[in-house]
Amino acid sequence: MVFGFTKKNNFEGGGLVLFTSVEEAIAAEKILKAAEYETKLVAPPPKLRKGCDLALEINLIEKTGVERMLRAKNLSFLEILPVKSGSELLQVVQVTDFGSAIMVKAGNMKLTFDSSSSVILNVSGGGCPDIPFLHAEMLDKRLAEAPRPRDVGYTLCSLMLDRAFVESLDIWSNGRK
Amino acid sequence: MYLICGTVPKKDLPLTLGEVQFLGPVISLDGVEIPCTQGTAALISAACVTTGHFRLSPPRALLVGDDGTGKGSRVLYDYLIKNISALSPGVLLLHYMLPVMGLMKKVCESVSKAKKRPFMIADAAAMYAAKAAGLSASFDLFTPDLSEMAFLADPDAMHPAYVSRHLFESDASKIPELVAAAYRHKNAAKMLMVKGSTDYIAADGKIVGTISEPDVPTLEAIGGTGDTISGMAGAFIHGGFRPLDAAQWTFRANRMAGQYAGATPATRIREIIEALPRVFDEHLEGWKKTDKSS
Repeated sequence: MVFGFTKKNNFEGGGLVLFTSVEEAIAAEKILKAAEYETKLVAPPPKLRKGCDLALEINLIEKTGVERMLRAKNLSFLEILPVKSGSELLQVVQVTDFGSAIMVKAGNMKLTFDSSSSVILNVSGGGCPDIPFLHAEMLDKRLAEAPRPRDVGYTLCSLMLDRAFVESLDIWSNGRK
Repeated sequence: MYLICGTVPKKDLPLTLGEVQFLGPVISLDGVEIPCTQGTAALISAACVTTGHFRLSPPRALLVGDDGTGKGSRVLYDYLIKNISALSPGVLLLHYMLPVMGLMKKVCESVSKAKKRPFMIADAAAMYAAKAAGLSASFDLFTPDLSEMAFLADPDAMHPAYVSRHLFESDASKIPELVAAAYRHKNAAKMLMVKGSTDYIAADGKIVGTISEPDVPTLEAIGGTGDTISGMAGAFIHGGFRPLDAAQWTFRANRMAGQYAGATPATRIREIIEALPRVFDEHLEGWKKTDKSS
């Protein structure tokens, strides 16, 4: 039994894109709306205010896709922050050495590559819909040949996988070259 | 009915509801073949193998293509909101989908209108949405790994990417504390199956079981080994087994399948799933006899 697609609904928010100028904020809203991202122009809370006093609220979970879209359109922005104060994107990574393979964990994502060839053996963890896509795209490729998760994914899970990927590249290039 | 809902990496797949079959390299839904890889496909595969062992009706799946934009996920949420009450599954498992708190809330409201409340399981981003929306207590079972357990324990995090550093850096020995914090903040389902080097089972705030044998550390690296746990647990519950038994047998079976498959960091999830029938044949009767609650 097959059913049809419908349009987006239910704006969650939770993320703020900060800009230097009001013009940039308005242009960004136009670009993102055209790409069917749900957004809202808002005044940033005083604690988060940098640059101009107009910001664009986005669904925080879509941070990766939003960043890529704005960069692709050459629209400059200062940064994307969670609305909730005190929230900070995890920066820390953990590394497990299996001998023949190295597993790098960032947040809820793990990337495992072959220690002698850098071929990506497995991607595990996560829960957002772009992760199975990235799994299929990245497996069996050498680190240097695999797509960067932030260039393909849309969600915070893909951003965590990107952290693990960048750290894996660093381990590979510094330790095994 | 055991209903599994999620997204799959087949962008053009419209929302599709039907019986699923595990065919080895792929699962089949309404004639559509989906590779048995990490994610909801792996979960369904393990569920099919488990229901097959008990000669139960196979799971039904409600799947949609979504590459991460969330378009497919929103169609899935909308369908559930409108139809879950009429579908009235005995076990409802929500898995890979964009975490949208408002829509998850509506799904839970619709579920509450069903004549008979299903046994509710959430894993992956469906669990993230349930926790972030303050709906954890509406669920009977969550199946987090260690990092996701830290997320449930963090009252402020809306996604595992925003977990406090000190919670993220907790090692497996801290799981009882994380479990206690999650229950304290009302961010836990009635039962938790926490996947890790030692697997923990918690119910209503207390640790009620741990499983650490056989020890197969490479399982953590293999994409899909958490998904198989959720799929199997749902299948055991669909078969009428008690949740605690379902949790214990699931953890043991997953580890044993890893051992039988000779799991390495390069092993693919399909190899683990294909080892499950041997595990069930050789061990399940013994586990049933030795577990007091059965």
